[in-house]
Amino acid sequence: MPEPDQSTLARRKDIIAAMRDIVPNEGGVIVDEDQLRPYECDGLMAYRQLPMIVVLPENTGQVAAILKYCHTHKIRVVPRGAGTGLSGGALPMADAITISMMKFNRVLDIDWDNRAVVVQPGVTNLGITRAVEHKGFYYAPDPSSQIACSIGGNIAENSGGVHSLKYGLTTNNVLGVEMVTIEGEILRVGGKGPDQSGYDLLGVITGSEGLLGIVTEVTVRILRKPETARALLLGFNSSEEGGNCVARIIADGIIPGGLEMMDAPAIKATEDFVHAGYPLDVEALLLVELDGPKVEVDYLIERVGAIARECGAVYSRISESEDERLLFWSGRKNAFPAIGRISPDYICMDGTIPRRRLAEVLTGMQVLSQRHGLRVANVFHAGDGNLHPLIMFDANQPGELERAEAFGADILKLCVEVGGVLSGEHGIGVEKRDLMPEMFTEDDMKHQERLKLAFDEDELLNPGKVFPTLHGCGELKTLHAREVADKFPDIPRF
Amino acid sequence: MTEVISPATPEQLREAISWALGSKTPLEIIGSGSKKTYGHSVAADHVLDLSKLSGIMFYEPEELVMSVRAGTSLAEIHALLSDKNQQFHFEPGNFPGLLADGVTDHAGTIGGLVASNLSGPRRIKVGAARDHLLGFEAISGRAEDFKSGGRVMKNVTGFDLSKLMAGSFGTLGVMHTITMKVMPRDEKTRTVLIACDDIESAGRAMTRAMGSENEVSAAAWIAREQVGMLGVDIATGIGAGIVALRLEGPAPSVAWRCEALRKLLADIGTSEELHSTNSHVFWRSVADVAPFAGGAGILWRVSAAPASGGAIASKLAAETGGKVMMDWAGAQIWLQLAGRDAMADKVRDIAVSYDARAVLVRAPEDIRNQMSVFHAEDAALARINARIRENFDPEGILNPGRIGQMLTKQGDA
Repeated sequence: MPEPDQSTLARRKDIIAAMRDIVPNEGGVIVDEDQLRPYECDGLMAYRQLPMIVVLPENTGQVAAILKYCHTHKIRVVPRGAGTGLSGGALPMADAITISMMKFNRVLDIDWDNRAVVVQPGVTNLGITRAVEHKGFYYAPDPSSQIACSIGGNIAENSGGVHSLKYGLTTNNVLGVEMVTIEGEILRVGGKGPDQSGYDLLGVITGSEGLLGIVTEVTVRILRKPETARALLLGFNSSEEGGNCVARIIADGIIPGGLEMMDAPAIKATEDFVHAGYPLDVEALLLVELDGPKVEVDYLIERVGAIARECGAVYSRISESEDERLLFWSGRKNAFPAIGRISPDYICMDGTIPRRRLAEVLTGMQVLSQRHGLRVANVFHAGDGNLHPLIMFDANQPGELERAEAFGADILKLCVEVGGVLSGEHGIGVEKRDLMPEMFTEDDMKHQERLKLAFDEDELLNPGKVFPTLHGCGELKTLHAREVADKFPDIPRF
Repeated sequence: MTEVISPATPEQLREAISWALGSKTPLEIIGSGSKKTYGHSVAADHVLDLSKLSGIMFYEPEELVMSVRAGTSLAEIHALLSDKNQQFHFEPGNFPGLLADGVTDHAGTIGGLVASNLSGPRRIKVGAARDHLLGFEAISGRAEDFKSGGRVMKNVTGFDLSKLMAGSFGTLGVMHTITMKVMPRDEKTRTVLIACDDIESAGRAMTRAMGSENEVSAAAWIAREQVGMLGVDIATGIGAGIVALRLEGPAPSVAWRCEALRKLLADIGTSEELHSTNSHVFWRSVADVAPFAGGAGILWRVSAAPASGGAIASKLAAETGGKVMMDWAGAQIWLQLAGRDAMADKVRDIAVSYDARAVLVRAPEDIRNQMSVFHAEDAALARINARIRENFDPEGILNPGRIGQMLTKQGDA
């Protein structure tokens, strides 16, 4: 991370006073170390840093005033939602204000006719569905953390979930945002209609990891809940057969509501934990969910069953009740805590690959597992090739964390090698920032940074994230990084 | 004198842009030229013609992905997809058919399609071109190679520059390679047609259908006098304006939902059903905006929140005397005016009063250049847009003026 700016730290008292003027509400400005402690990391707990201060604004005007102050006084800002992110996107900085958006927790408007809901960014993902389910609607993107993660954070990370194969990611389900720029300007991008004018700013704000602005209001589209959902459990003797089955289902024109896969270590760990009735003698387990009208689901269950038989499935079970469907899912949904029970620590990686390279990548992972001397279990979104290898280690053993990180990096490099990407849904944050050159050239990254500079020329918003170390945007402002360092030795570099 | 530069490789494209940058020579970027009249005239003497930069890089039907050079013709791409029973799910219409007479089916190139972010009736369910663009490779106005995205379905690696490029009209960089998500064709398609002459009732009927659990994949309203131009006798035979609602998916599901939908809307008017071929022909015509195709008359496209479509279309028709058609369940309203008066103030005032946006799609060049073709954004947004443009194309050499003054460097337009 960039070195803390001493002149900012020296002004801490003034900054606190200014923040208290802007946010006079009780508990709106947090400055004591013990109260700052809960904010020292997000879901990526291997990285911790106490923020300089935390501010919890309650309205857009306060956010605008905070950012304007920060812009004027060149103070860095780290936006934070619910803190469930898994790539360190909300990791604080010692010299930055962390702005927590969790007081923005109201549902503002449910527009049934336009099937659009306007909420504040601190509303949880599941909170949106809760607000509309009494009329049979729901919000489709469903990250595993949906009970806790905020919709603002979902926009920052372009979150997905098991539904994304059929229903898309956040970017396909968000219609508009109100956003405050670092200059304190309030932008409204998009709305209840499908089009915006000018460049697709909504498209680039989504997934921008808090580097372009702070979202203060969100409009999402909601869908009618399918009448029926049923799930199949399909077991295979090899991941290759499982992967082929996935390809065949999709090539047959069937896009399931959910299409998940687990390897043998993951099956065993989850079965031991939740007793979902998973077979323990298969190498790959597919969980296929079909949703829609009952007549459609029954029809597709038959077809998927037939495809599975042709692909060599050695185990097949169809949910006969809603309870059984949820039981099938309980293992997949509890994969992380299940791994937590058999290993003191684990890190969850997140890369995407072309589906047909699956068997090859899983084999490669086993080789890497032996090389690094650490176990790995795999759960993944098979339909869209999004892998979540869970690397098990013991942080109390010297060197294991570093080995786990190196293992994780090797897995992601392997993903890129086969035509995949570094992140399918968790984002880059600090975790994968230094791997960006695996996928992007200098010029590729410069163009991403040029977008950043159009919003935040002084790079005050969430610095140290996404772009690799020693690859600051500074060089784009005519000087090269080296020259900046020589000329302004006190400018923090990252 | 106009000089045409026709690179056949990405390297030649970079060289061409490098030359333009070095000599500060503005370029008009053209694929097949089929959408040349959409937007403002480009202030450039030199044309960068991408039609030779064509070819399929790879197509993997089982992976639902296709990568092509930007100048590849849509006719070639659609033929290839059709062979594998696949399609672009956002079903782009034959947009050039709107702009000129005698254009063949699927005119245009994939580069032009993505650069203008077009999409057809299925947008209400699956999104626009931007939602299906997985990645691209381009040369920016700085004559630098850059890419973003990839070939996989799920990707949050760095900023999503693909979204930025879709709909940028070539003003940030010239894409040479485009990777798209493709989808299987649905097993069955049927369309429920409901007789309805009243625009506002039609809007309410579409809203009700969309709010139901029947997964409607297209919803349009066509006025009585335009139905005959859709090429489907059953539709014409209704003898009234029609609300059309499309259902797609596995056969038993489509049949079941058709019946459910007819029951749900029985109070609106009498109903009919179009089965496979008729349903395809019908929506192809809607995607192509067939009633208003052919190059004559001024054409506006108003983009709105879907439920306000009925009220907006009704008001536009009443106050301009023009002909209207609604697609996207009311979120897209086409307005065709007779004569040379674009009635811009009136159209824009009505749109803005419903928080909608109006774009002048077709008009003689002198009219297009007298006014802003696209919806003008507020100052803060325009400033960000201008900065992006400047950061990607600092000398303003790529399609200067094409998208108007609001989005470009001062003096561009």
